Amino acid sequence: MDNLEHRLVRCFSSVFPSLNEDQIRNASVDSVPDWHSLASVTLISVVQEEFGVQVGLMDLPNLVSFSAVQNYVQHHVAT
Amino acid sequence: MKLIDALAVARRPVAENASLLRAFLACGFTPLHLETFLVAALSDRSPMERVEVATGLFGDLAGNIERISAEDHDVLVAIIEWQDLDARLGIRSLGGWRAEELPDIVKSAERMMGRLEKAIVSAADLLPTYISLPTLALPPLFATPSQQTSSYELQLRLCVNRFAAALATHPRIRITSTQRLDEMSPLATRFDIQSELSAGFPYHLAHASAMAELLAALIRDSGPKKGLITDLDDTLWSGILGENGVDGISWHLDQQTHVHGLYQQFLASLASAGVLTAVASKNDPALVERAFEREDLLIRKKSLYPIDAHWGPKSESVRRIVKTWNIAADAVIFIDDSPMELAEVKAAFPEMECLLFPKSAPQAFWQLLRRLRDLFGKSIVSEEDSIRLQSIRAAASLPDSSNGDSTSLDSFLQEARASVVFTFGKQKDDRRAFELINKTNQFNLNGKRLNEASWATYLDDPTSFLMTASYEDKYGPLGKIAVLLGHLQGTAATIDYWVMSCRAFSRRIEQQSLSWLFEKFHLRELHFDYQQTDRNKPIYDFLSGIAGTPLTGDIRVSMSSFFEKCPPLFHQIKAAVNG
Repeated sequence: MDNLEHRLVRCFSSVFPSLNEDQIRNASVDSVPDWHSLASVTLISVVQEEFGVQVGLMDLPNLVSFSAVQNYVQHHVAT
Repeated sequence: MKLIDALAVARRPVAENASLLRAFLACGFTPLHLETFLVAALSDRSPMERVEVATGLFGDLAGNIERISAEDHDVLVAIIEWQDLDARLGIRSLGGWRAEELPDIVKSAERMMGRLEKAIVSAADLLPTYISLPTLALPPLFATPSQQTSSYELQLRLCVNRFAAALATHPRIRITSTQRLDEMSPLATRFDIQSELSAGFPYHLAHASAMAELLAALIRDSGPKKGLITDLDDTLWSGILGENGVDGISWHLDQQTHVHGLYQQFLASLASAGVLTAVASKNDPALVERAFEREDLLIRKKSLYPIDAHWGPKSESVRRIVKTWNIAADAVIFIDDSPMELAEVKAAFPEMECLLFPKSAPQAFWQLLRRLRDLFGKSIVSEEDSIRLQSIRAAASLPDSSNGDSTSLDSFLQEARASVVFTFGKQKDDRRAFELINKTNQFNLNGKRLNEASWATYLDDPTSFLMTASYEDKYGPLGKIAVLLGHLQGTAATIDYWVMSCRAFSRRIEQQSLSWLFEKFHLRELHFDYQQTDRNKPIYDFLSGIAGTPLTGDIRVSMSSFFEKCPPLFHQIKAAVNG
């Protein structure tokens, strides 16, 4: 697991503490019952703070799974 | 604190039997991360406490406050932002920013502040209330450019300041410091417009975290330090008294020694607010005496007690001073310009905070003053605060009863012309009684503390009683120095809380209190909910004396046995009933 993925798992774990690492990597709005709108806002805030990125309003509806958030961060984080 | 850490702290498990703090967070926006940060900040300050934060309805700050119930919550935290005063002062409403609407916005904000003031005062009558005034910049609705303040903006700010000044006089209302918040969180980085538009939460995370820290510090105040011991040479004044002489020491602008004058002024301010202030100095006592005769000193000699000057180690002075004050070393701050002296005192008193006086670094000196204000800061300066040092001075003239010489104590007390005022009543707003219960350590029946909610609940019980004692003798008043809380059951009473200020020791006030209780309620027996603590030996000694047996949890003392052992009492008694 690379550093970015590890940090992202930690972000997800802070919002969904009942999920293990495997469940987090496969997590999506459909598979995690606790992933409601409030959890979404909290998750995106944690991710923004962790990676120093600003998620645009138009991008928010697309960030509905771990892999989607991972792709977004990979493309937007300063390297 | 980062949000990810706050989430972890907020979910940290606490013991099942942990006490519970139920806060109500009233705000007009979505509380979202502020709620998380507040739980985390409070949990960090009280790790043994479980914190629950409840919130109200979006967009209805005043209604949320008006609906609060003391049965469900222990404290109220109200966050006011401009849009709560008039929705047009926010960005989620499109009510119009036309120039002709500005007077109406100001009027409408004034009306809302009137409603909020009423709601907050009513809430504060029920439970402790913490207020945050608007922290965000006003939106660009005024006609003036940003470098110019609009008269409407000034009217709004005036209105908020009047509102806050009125609330700040209420004993159960605390308002967060905007100046402190400005230092912690720059104004330009507070507002998160995207979060406000998408989630109704107007703060950047760092600002929400700073606000929560500030509120938690106010709600879970660790309590002020009690005493300050200062060095003299190159600390209270500039120069070495033994070398420069009385006229050679200085503290004035023209001699570039002004920081010492500021320090004197600051110590005088602390002393006037009830902080015990004393001197520990390696010096010639006679010379020190002469130095304190200088008329231009900004702190008078009478405000410093004791003044301990000699050539021995400073820790010896500190030990004597702490003993005279009869307070714990961890409640004392020691200040000296010499790192070596600080280290010597610190080695003798590891629990004491020892701070360097930075005589050649004005900026560090400024930080020292601010640090001291935080360490000694208190919300209310009481009558007892103003007479504390005077009563300790008087206590120094008392004979030592611990050596068993009761005859000299008898004659001393007989001559003292002492009077005690016992007050019976159940006044929930008796801040002094509440404060004594929560800060007294030595003469304390069991070390139990009460928060505002449990204090109110206790007093609401029809079988409970509250007795306080105030003392005065020819040496001066001690003010309210003892509090006793108990329950009546027929001809017996159970004492659940009993504390007495250490300043009141050796005056037989404890015996007089029980004597008066027996008489007032026609009691045959008193039960004491005694528990040993690390520091309550004085009450152990007293109770084992009147019980005549080794102490266990529930101590029972009959009227006949008490009066058999009670020494002569010489006080004139006045009883008052209120509430």
